[in-house]
Amino acid sequence: MILLAHELRLLLRQRLSVMALALLATLSAASLILGMSEVQRQRDAIAAIPAAQAEDIAAVADYVDRTKDAGSAAYYSFHPTWDAPSALAFAALGMRDVSPYILRVRALGLEAQIYDGDTFNPELALPGRFDFAFVLVFLAPLFVIALFHDLVSGEREAGRQRTLDALPRGGRSLWRRRSALRLSLLWAALALPFMLAAAWEQVAVGAILAVLAVAMAYLLFWAGVAALVSRLRCSSVTNAAVLASAWLLLVLIVPTLANVAINAALPIDQGAEIALAHREEVNRAWDIPREDTMRRFYARHPEWSPSAPLGPEFHYKWYLAFHQNGDESVAGRVRAYRAGLEARDAAARATGWILPSVGVQALLMRLAQTDLAAQLRYQDRIRSFHRRLRTFYYGYLFTDRPFDRTDFDRAPRFGGDIS
Amino acid sequence: MPTTDPILISDLTLGYGTHTVLDGLSLAVPAGSITALLGGNGAGKSTTLSALLGFARARTGTITVCGIDPAADPDEARRLIAYLPENVALYDHLSAFENADYLLALSGERPKRGTIEDALSAAGLQDRAWHRRLGGFSKGMRQKVAIAVALLRQVPVLLLDEPTSGLDPRATADFNALLAEVRARGTAVLMVTHDLLSAADIADRIAFLEAGRVEHEVAASGEERFDVRKLHARFQLGAGRLAA
Repeated sequence: MILLAHELRLLLRQRLSVMALALLATLSAASLILGMSEVQRQRDAIAAIPAAQAEDIAAVADYVDRTKDAGSAAYYSFHPTWDAPSALAFAALGMRDVSPYILRVRALGLEAQIYDGDTFNPELALPGRFDFAFVLVFLAPLFVIALFHDLVSGEREAGRQRTLDALPRGGRSLWRRRSALRLSLLWAALALPFMLAAAWEQVAVGAILAVLAVAMAYLLFWAGVAALVSRLRCSSVTNAAVLASAWLLLVLIVPTLANVAINAALPIDQGAEIALAHREEVNRAWDIPREDTMRRFYARHPEWSPSAPLGPEFHYKWYLAFHQNGDESVAGRVRAYRAGLEARDAAARATGWILPSVGVQALLMRLAQTDLAAQLRYQDRIRSFHRRLRTFYYGYLFTDRPFDRTDFDRAPRFGGDIS
Repeated sequence: MPTTDPILISDLTLGYGTHTVLDGLSLAVPAGSITALLGGNGAGKSTTLSALLGFARARTGTITVCGIDPAADPDEARRLIAYLPENVALYDHLSAFENADYLLALSGERPKRGTIEDALSAAGLQDRAWHRRLGGFSKGMRQKVAIAVALLRQVPVLLLDEPTSGLDPRATADFNALLAEVRARGTAVLMVTHDLLSAADIADRIAFLEAGRVEHEVAASGEERFDVRKLHARFQLGAGRLAA
């Protein structure tokens, strides 16, 4: 402990080291504050849903109550779904900034509704948000480099290394102690603001410990890289240049190339193409005999086939049927798209075993439930809710039951946590 | 040679790769004495210190520090050695007191505050400099801090690498006086130097190293008493200093 106190004093007397640690702590705190404010904004938006929905439905109900038409009710009423952020989402916003966390769906074709929003903002999708994961993955290694590049070479250049090596407890134990101290301080600069934020957000202890362990492991990796470079016995300036190049390669260039390679090896449609295909299928339905549409629909959904035949006038059950036919026509593409996304995600996670920057980011997003898997789970919940929505409206449409104001209260509600 | 000598080197051969630096070196430094090791560049002076500190392993022969082989047990050997490199480089952003405190802690010593101040005083460092950062210290002042550390460690062996190079005559005289005190405490001092005049002033024995072995060794007293001018003429050392 005495030696650690001496080493701490030595380190804290070095202005650059102190500035680096303070800057890392500041960046860490700033990223957490920004992450928390973004998550709070999303929570507020989700919390505002019931009031807005009530107002919206009331307006539709006024109209529907006059016509008693279930088709109008199905067509005009939007039903909100949402994906509430996890307690840890503030630390790694992940896909929450590029994928919708609120989706208002109608009982019409679902796939176009889901994939209409699947257009990434490239400015956001490339570097991601300035969140804790960004600070840890992209910036923290630079601070490790700042504190470790001259750990041994600095002593050599100052002419002290031989004096230190000549001491009975000099040599390796000294470097180990100094490395451990620097590593601990860097970790503390990240961990202390994170722990405060996590306590504020009431994150489970297990998740907090997992993030802290991931942060320590990642810092250890970079300290290991710095130790390897120091074995080359180059000057501090050369060490810094080599380490900066390693950072550029391991954090920016290789992950980008890996992403390009994965995308090339696993080609998939864009989600917007599915939405387009769905729209084309739906639009085509206007040009084909309505009986063909209904025949196709009843073949897949015989439970509704006892419904009365279509008359010459417009009927929403035909409209909704061809929307559902549209969904079913792109079902194969949807499955392929999802499988492709999952395959790319699996490949990216596999890359994480050899590229720590990718691995750490994936791990944090998994812990924060902001990764692709979480997004797909939300889609699953939307699909499940949409099935209930269809069944509800079809119950009126295919039996020509009138739909009045009170029936809106019987409509299914999305079962997500609103807070 | 008595086996109790703190520094004992016998027929030592040592080298790096195919290059032999020390070739049959034998040297003994008794307790309470100062031996100056002189020689030209590449004669093996610094390598001798490296071997004593356990940085280099002998090919043949033996080397011991108070009976311990430094290559086999460097930590134990270094526990018995205080070493002052040619340029005493300490931490500029720590004070003289803090430097001494830190180096002692690294050596496993925990002296009291007053003890460190006494040692700094004994080393000749003025009290107003004790708590000043080392940034503006001269080489002589830095050496005094390092000597204070050596005094406090109370080790039986002191190794000095060119201690007077770059010191003015007054600082050299101060340093030699300090060294005499260290010797009086019973410490065996081995001083590697180019400075024959300084060595002649303070050393009990001067060993002349050439091609990795001691070619000539003279004592400061008795029949062997050395004459600087004769030695200079013989070994052509320090011509510039002597002419001045």
